[in-house]
Amino acid sequence: MHITRLLAVLAAVCLGAAGAAAQDTIKIGADLPMSGPNAEYGELFGAAANLAAEHANADKMLSKKLVIQFEDSQATPQQGVVAMNKLVNVEKVPYVLSAFTGVSKAIAPVGDKAKVVSVNGGGIGPDLAELGDYFWNVIPLVNLEIRVMAPYLVQERGFKKIALVYVDDPAGEAIQKELKENVPKAGGQMVAELQVPRNAQQFTSIAAKVRESSPDLVFIASFGAQQAQIVKQLRDNGVPQQLASYSAFASPTVTQLPEAKGALFPSQSVDWKAAGMSERVAKDWKAKTNKEPNAYVANYYNAVMVFVKLAQALEKSGQPITGENLLKQRRANGTFDLVGGKMEFLPNGSVSMPIQINEIDGAGGGKLIKAGTMAK
Amino acid sequence: MLLLQLVINGLQLGAIYALTAVGFSLIFGATKVFHVAHGAAFTIAAYLFWWTSAVLHMPWPVAALIAVLAAVLFGLFMERFVYRPIQRHEGAFFTVFIAAFGVQIIVQNLVGTIFGRGFVSVTTSLSRSVEVMPGLFVAPIAAISIVVAIIVFTVLTYYLTRTHTGMAMRALSENPDLIRVFGLDPARVAQYAFAIGSAIVVPGAIFTAMTAGLNPAVGAHVMLISLAATIVGGIGSLRGAACGGLLLGLAENLALWRLDPQWSEAVTFVVLFLFIIFRPAGFFGRPHGAK
Repeated sequence: MHITRLLAVLAAVCLGAAGAAAQDTIKIGADLPMSGPNAEYGELFGAAANLAAEHANADKMLSKKLVIQFEDSQATPQQGVVAMNKLVNVEKVPYVLSAFTGVSKAIAPVGDKAKVVSVNGGGIGPDLAELGDYFWNVIPLVNLEIRVMAPYLVQERGFKKIALVYVDDPAGEAIQKELKENVPKAGGQMVAELQVPRNAQQFTSIAAKVRESSPDLVFIASFGAQQAQIVKQLRDNGVPQQLASYSAFASPTVTQLPEAKGALFPSQSVDWKAAGMSERVAKDWKAKTNKEPNAYVANYYNAVMVFVKLAQALEKSGQPITGENLLKQRRANGTFDLVGGKMEFLPNGSVSMPIQINEIDGAGGGKLIKAGTMAK
Repeated sequence: MLLLQLVINGLQLGAIYALTAVGFSLIFGATKVFHVAHGAAFTIAAYLFWWTSAVLHMPWPVAALIAVLAAVLFGLFMERFVYRPIQRHEGAFFTVFIAAFGVQIIVQNLVGTIFGRGFVSVTTSLSRSVEVMPGLFVAPIAAISIVVAIIVFTVLTYYLTRTHTGMAMRALSENPDLIRVFGLDPARVAQYAFAIGSAIVVPGAIFTAMTAGLNPAVGAHVMLISLAATIVGGIGSLRGAACGGLLLGLAENLALWRLDPQWSEAVTFVVLFLFIIFRPAGFFGRPHGAK
C-alpha cells in the first residue's frame, strides 16, 4: 500500500514537473530527415534552426525559452505526414519547419486543416508556392533559380547542348519542366532527359547514355547521397563535360567530393560579412562546426527567426501564439530583417531573392562567380 | 556499342550482387536463418574499408583484412547473441526476421552517427574508365570484380564439396543429427557458415566503396537485391544465387537499351516476379515437395 502511494506521489510529481516544464517553454516543430540517405540534410537544417533558437533564447527575445521538437520525416512523404500528425495533434505546435518538395506537399494539407504554419527552407518545387495560406517558403523556389541559371549557362558560358539527369520525384520533375522551358528560350537545346529512380545507386549505364547524347553540359537534378553518386559515376565513366545543378549542390557531400570540382550551382545571395545578424550567424556557425555557412544555414536560421519575430509581436499585443495569429501577423509585418538582408513574403507565402551563381572550388566549398541577380 | 557497354556494366554490377547473394544463400542454406542483417555486414565492411584506407591511409590489404575481420565478427555475433537465443526459446521465423531487421536499422544509425550521414567513397584510379574502343569505356575494377567473383565462387564450391566441414555445412539444415554422428558440433558448423557467408560480402562491399560510393543506408538496398537474387537462383543454391545476382545485374543495365532509366530497377523485380510465377524454385532450387 505504501509503495502504491509512493508511486502515485512520484507520478504526480513527475507529471507536474513535465507540465511545468512545458509551460515554461514555447515549442515549435521540425519535420526533417533524421535517418536514411538524406539524414545529412536534417542534421544541417536542424543545426541551423537550433542556432537560431540559441540566439533567440540568449537575447531573451521571447517571454519563455524557445525549444524545437524534432521529428524524423526520413525525407519521404509518408513518414513526413506521420511526423506532422504527431507535431500537430500530440505536441500541439503552432509552427513546423519542413524540407523536401515531396514531404512539404504531403504535410501541407495537415497543417492547413489544423491551422498550423509549415515553413519550408529546403524544398524547391515551384508548386510549393501554391500550397495554401499556412504553407510558407523562406527559400527561392527552383523556377527562380533556373530562370537565372539557364541564360547564364547557354548565353554567357556557351553550353548550348544540355543533358539532364533528374530524380523521379516532384523536385526532379519540376526542374525538368523549368529547364525544358528556359533552355530553348535562352537559345540552347536539351539533348537528353534521363529520369532515375529515387533509390537508384548505380549510374554507370546512365553515363553511357549521357555520352551517347554528346552534351556540352550535364545538369544533375537530384539530392542527398544520390547526387554525389551520380557525379562520381559520371566522372568515373567517361563523362568529362561541365557539370551543373540547382541549389542542392551546396550540400557538403557534394562540395567536398573531388569529382565535383568545377561544377556550377545557383543559390540565393547571402553576404555573410554584412554587419549584424549575418555576421553573428557566420561567426557562431564556424565556431560550432568549423565550416563556412551556406544558403541552407541561412534558410533554417531565418525560418526560426521569422517565428520568433512574429511571436514577439503577438506577445507584445497580448495575443496567443497560434498558427492563425502567426499568419495574420506575417501579413501585417511585411518585411523581416534576417540573415542575408531584408526578406519580404509575397502574397502566396513564398519569397523572391537575388540568385547568385557559384562554382565548387575543390576545397570543400563554393566560390561566387556571378553576383546575385533577380529572376526575370 | 551501347549494348556492349551495358553488358559490361551489367557483368560488373552482377558480380557484386552475386558475391553478396552467395553469402546470404550460404547462411540461409546451411542454417535456415533468414539473415536480413547480412546487409549490415556489407555496410560495416564497406565503411571500415573506407575509413581505414581513405581516412587513416592504411594500405589496402590491411584495410581489406580489417573489413573481413569486422564482417566475420558481426556474423558470429549475430549467430551467437541474436539468432541462437531466439531459436533456443521459440525459433519463430518471424521473430528472427524482425530481430535481424532491427539490427540492420541499429547498424545503419550507428554507422551514420560514427562516420557521418553523408556520401563517402574511396577515390582510386581503378574505378576510372578508359576508352578501350570508340564509345566503349571500361574501368579496371570491372575486370577485377568479375575475376574475384569467379575465384570466390570456385574456392567456396571446392570447400563445400571437398572438405568435411564444408560437407557438414551442406548437411546441417537437412539433418543436424547426422553431423553429430560424424563427431561435429552443429552449433560450430553454423558459426562457420555465418563466418564464411559474412566474409564473402567484403569484396562486393569494397568494390561498391570504390565505384558507387557509400551512405549508411547502402546495406538495405544491397540486401533487397541479394534476396531477389537468392529467390531467382533458387533458395539454398549457391550456384543459383551467383547466377541470380549476375542475371539481375545484367537485367538492371540492359533495361536501358530500350527502356527509360527509371525502369532499370523495376526490371529487376519484373524478373523476380516472372521467376516466382513461372519457376518458383528458381534456377537451381528444388521444387516444393521434392525430396
